[in-house]
Amino acid sequence: MRADVWLVIVGMALATYLTRAPLLLALARRPLPPRLRLWLRLIPLAVLPALALPLILLDQGRLVASPAHPPLWGAIVVFVLAGRRVNLLVTVAAAVAVVAALRALG
Amino acid sequence: MPVPVEPSPDSREPAVRRARDGVVASLALVPSVFVYGTVFGGLAVQAGLRPLEVWGMSLLVFAGAAQFVAVPMLAAGASPLTIVLTTYVINMRHYLMAATLAPAFRGFPRAWLALVAHGINDESFAVAVARRNPVDPWVYLGSAAAVAGAFLGGVPVGTQLGGLVADPARWGLDFAFPAVFLALVAVQLRTRTDWLVAVASGTLATAVALVVPGNWHIVVAGVVVSGVAALLLQPEAT
Repeated sequence: MRADVWLVIVGMALATYLTRAPLLLALARRPLPPRLRLWLRLIPLAVLPALALPLILLDQGRLVASPAHPPLWGAIVVFVLAGRRVNLLVTVAAAVAVVAALRALG
Repeated sequence: MPVPVEPSPDSREPAVRRARDGVVASLALVPSVFVYGTVFGGLAVQAGLRPLEVWGMSLLVFAGAAQFVAVPMLAAGASPLTIVLTTYVINMRHYLMAATLAPAFRGFPRAWLALVAHGINDESFAVAVARRNPVDPWVYLGSAAAVAGAFLGGVPVGTQLGGLVADPARWGLDFAFPAVFLALVAVQLRTRTDWLVAVASGTLATAVALVVPGNWHIVVAGVVVSGVAALLLQPEAT
């Protein structure tokens, strides 16, 4: 047992739990006003692109928007297939394969 | 409107069926999550952590991005407070996900909620909100189980054997994460407002990420864009 390492791990665990539990416990109890419900409905629409776009457009903190950037083509594959309601597993596998192939070529 | 290929989960269906739906909907992610688990396990052991510490961290913290950041800090001898605060900031996006998921869990015992909270992760959040908004709690739980199983299964493989794949990006595996997030937002874009919110948030997040290091861009874009839209739109009209 290395007490100092476990101290950090427990600290990280508590800090992370503090970001997860309070709102889940607080908001699961009461009915919410309409505007708050609207806000909660819009959060995924804002959070998902906020997760995805920087991962696609940035490389080590720099904007990479050239056609030689494989993730750009992967994103197009995703959008076309997902727009046609192709199964998620197939969509992601196709996009991963395209990115891997372009990286192997480039 | 195109007919969805996959049957959408129905709240009258038994919980087990809805949970299975969540597992199946997460299968696109399981290989990548597993591989990144092995990579994390391998890196953490190389950085000088013991396998038990790496497993303990993965089980107790269960937040991949924060763990990848914390391990080199630990190895470099950063102060515990700095590591804990960095972890907190990286994970602040969970506040948004917890708030969104909460109404789905009305009526669940509080002891359950305390445990469910620990499993909140980007991938299951994405899967659950895309399957149904408001979220079906059992679809979410199925997805969280699949993601947790893949990550916690991958970590010990990595600590014992080293990362199975030296460079996951070479195989495009890093792209599985943005691919899932993007695919799941694409199926939710129905109205012009949806498009506006999604494009504005993606653009703002990219701009913030260019200027501010870390994971602030997710919280900033997520709160600002959804908040402004919620203030401008009529609750009844949506």
